[in-house]
Amino acid sequence: MFQKILIANRGEIALRILRACRQLGVRSVVAYSEADRDSLPVQLADEAICIGPADAKRSYLSAPALISAAVVTGCDAVHPGYGFLSEDEGFAEVVRAHDLTFIGPPPNVLERFASKEGTRRLLAAHGLPTIPGSDGLLRDDLHALQEADRIGYPVLIKPSAGGGGKGMRMVRSPRELESAIKVCRSEAKAAFGDDSLYLEKWLEDNRHIEVQVAIDRYGHGVHLGERDCSVQRRHQKILEEAPSPALSPAERTELCETAVRAIVAAGYENVGTLEFLVDRDGNPYFIEINCRIQVEHPVSEMLTGIDLVATQIRIAAGEPLGFSQADVELRGHAIELRINAEDPEHDFRPGAGVVERYIAPGGPGIRMDSHLQPGYEVPPFYDSLLGKLIAWGPDRATAIERAKGALDELVIDGLVTNVAIHQALLGSEPFLEGRMTTSLLDRVGSAAFLAAASRA
Amino acid sequence: MPEPTVPEPMTDDPIPEPTTETRLAEHAAIDRLAADLLPALVAKLGATGLGEIEVREGPWRVRLRRPADARTQARRGDRPSRGQASHTGHGRAPATIDGSRSARTVAGTSHSGNGSTPAGSEPPAIRQDPHRAVATSPAVGLYRPRPDLPVGSRVRGGDRLGTVDMLGIPQPVVAPVDGILGGSLAESGDAVEYGQELVVIELAGPAER
Repeated sequence: MFQKILIANRGEIALRILRACRQLGVRSVVAYSEADRDSLPVQLADEAICIGPADAKRSYLSAPALISAAVVTGCDAVHPGYGFLSEDEGFAEVVRAHDLTFIGPPPNVLERFASKEGTRRLLAAHGLPTIPGSDGLLRDDLHALQEADRIGYPVLIKPSAGGGGKGMRMVRSPRELESAIKVCRSEAKAAFGDDSLYLEKWLEDNRHIEVQVAIDRYGHGVHLGERDCSVQRRHQKILEEAPSPALSPAERTELCETAVRAIVAAGYENVGTLEFLVDRDGNPYFIEINCRIQVEHPVSEMLTGIDLVATQIRIAAGEPLGFSQADVELRGHAIELRINAEDPEHDFRPGAGVVERYIAPGGPGIRMDSHLQPGYEVPPFYDSLLGKLIAWGPDRATAIERAKGALDELVIDGLVTNVAIHQALLGSEPFLEGRMTTSLLDRVGSAAFLAAASRA
Repeated sequence: MPEPTVPEPMTDDPIPEPTTETRLAEHAAIDRLAADLLPALVAKLGATGLGEIEVREGPWRVRLRRPADARTQARRGDRPSRGQASHTGHGRAPATIDGSRSARTVAGTSHSGNGSTPAGSEPPAIRQDPHRAVATSPAVGLYRPRPDLPVGSRVRGGDRLGTVDMLGIPQPVVAPVDGILGGSLAESGDAVEYGQELVVIELAGPAER
């Protein structure tokens, strides 16, 4: 096991990693920027060291500052948390070059999974279903029509270069395809200087379901079930739950077991998450892997009782997993609400300010992972996550009731938060009936959810 | 050890009599370095913000370093200009030895009472003193004061008073104002954090103004 770990992150995840270190009996050093000098992780730290100014490029994103901090404080490992440098294989390599251990997959594994397209091909070869698409680039209109026929409408036309939605069109028929393809070619040419296109099957009303895995250096891998992250606003997750209300027990077992088999075969190591889109008919399609601890990891911790951050540290230290799939029991239901400093009434505009009053909720099955405290000034430089409220119950209905009660107890004065949207969601029919899809909130509009809640 | 400013492969170990085959292999290796490895390393150097990257493979070694002219702009210390001695061969050994000793200094000086009082929640007394200013650390690393500047020396704002060594890359500690060099708040070789107060500058008294 490590002697001392540098915590190279901030906010609630810095606190979470600090707690995992304490659990393992490992000393830790919290690396912080000037803007986080008074933050809770710094106050609770065994040791803390200021690495740079508020600007993340010169602090939390500065490899030299972080590694220098680890070296001068005598650390032998670096935990990157999520975001910032957590999936940067260059950082992982430099950490290793300084005889420190990067807590996550080893650099060569990170590199293998660095390209989304490469990862999709690799895992498809190991038996994971991926979104059907054209065989290579579209040569001409005839080729496009043949490929679309083979994939099945609706299809999405995508430019090979670039992103950001430019040159992308969803079409439902051969006629639409023929006219859209010309527009897409000229848009792609104008935007990226490259008019090559390809096709992908369009998944309507899909859900986002991800499988949590943990694999040690010796190739022993387990899954910790799935998480349903279909409640999203502009592709940002805001509420996650497990088990997914969309999967039958047989579908769950099949998805999780296929995922862990493929990722072990592909040579992954440490904790990770395989993300899938699941279509209306329940077919999963692998989209990408997250090679880090995720924001929503507590959902799986509540179901399994397994400390995922401690597991991550133990695996990085070279320890065997120490448990098998048969030891992983998925009990009850858990829901995580991301509490953000953003205003649901004003297009979720992020805010900053001083927390005048803070009361954390409690009671059976409630867990609040947050770095808030009264008097804390939320800095405007970083993301808007204030904390995560996690509710567990023996069944989904109980978990929802507990989450509602906890939201009522939660007091954060001085800042605008997104608590209202959670209250609206937890009382909404689509959520209660387990029908949320990734596009629903954007399509219906958060305003409609909020209005429905105020009428009820 | 040569110090190339442009990357070049170097043969460190003696190579046996070159045969046609080894020559061909070398040419292939050089081609591969130029075509594949160098672009990847350039991208990495940019992405990591480090000053230098070295890769070894068999008898080949490639070292990439940022150009020295970028130094004037970058406060972040993206390149090793003179810190070569402590950097050679991943030479962090001196830093680590120093570090384990002086890590306690960081914990001790700047974070004493960390558990109850957040560090820095009260402005340091010196900063409020109208007769004094203080030079702070530009980076997290090991402090090296200039040996040729004794207490009592007259300094001007912008003068370099020492450096903080961040992974072998010296970052200048600069006098914030004109004045007389006062006491030192950290010892040579101490591990210091970003923003830590290092040297007191006594301002010119009212009589002198």
